[in-house]
Amino acid sequence: MADENDNERMDDNQKSDKMFTLKKWNAVAMWSWDVECDTCAICRVQVMDACLRCQAESKKDSYGKQDCVVVWGECNHSFHYCCMSLWVKQNNRCPLCQQEWSIQRMGK
Amino acid sequence: MSTPARRRLMRDFKRLQEDPPTGVSGAPTDNNIMIWNAVIFGPHDTPFEDGTFKLTIEFTEEYPNKPPTVRFVSHMFHPNVYADGGICLDILQNRWSPTYDVSAILTSIQSLLSDPNPNSPANSMAAQLYKENRREYEKRVKACVEQSFID
Repeated sequence: MADENDNERMDDNQKSDKMFTLKKWNAVAMWSWDVECDTCAICRVQVMDACLRCQAESKKDSYGKQDCVVVWGECNHSFHYCCMSLWVKQNNRCPLCQQEWSIQRMGK
Repeated sequence: MSTPARRRLMRDFKRLQEDPPTGVSGAPTDNNIMIWNAVIFGPHDTPFEDGTFKLTIEFTEEYPNKPPTVRFVSHMFHPNVYADGGICLDILQNRWSPTYDVSAILTSIQSLLSDPNPNSPANSMAAQLYKENRREYEKRVKACVEQSFID
């Protein structure tokens, strides 16, 4: 019995021409940095932080001023310059996309 | 002494624990982070299913610029595994990338179990049986699975 009543009520709702009214609208926007990845895939540290090698060395001989810069390739992949300069000595390709490595820009 | 290679391995271990891939596990040995023990479970729907295959991974101070040496400790019968347990896998040799970590290495070896490459054989008998007599191949693999429970 109860089921039948429910079905009738639903039919009534469908017949009315206005099923719902929009009372509130919340738009959500997302943003992200315009770089392909923000973690250096070689040493797994954020590119904006010093690489593992520099972190270890600055502790050892306190060259706090030695800046560990970021390098972007033409492929838009970014790495620490220190990490990448060691890798390109043995293979001049981007470790992520295997494209020929050429530097687009360097900096922080 | 904490070198870049050792620090990277600590990160690999952390990632392996926080985001463990299914069917593989690994950890550094008690007193040396440069030597790891790992286990790969035989993938479902392959003759390796239910096997627990043990491996060792040895890193050098050049990691991650140079790949580690990975070796099966458990006896294996697979077209791309040498008699001494050494593995013939491109990403552990000429296709190595410093972006790989322990997690990536273990999952690649796991998928090698499912998809052997009989055209570059390390075990010619296994490669031949894989191509020409799949029933015998599966029988030999199943014997390895049984063996893996013991050793």
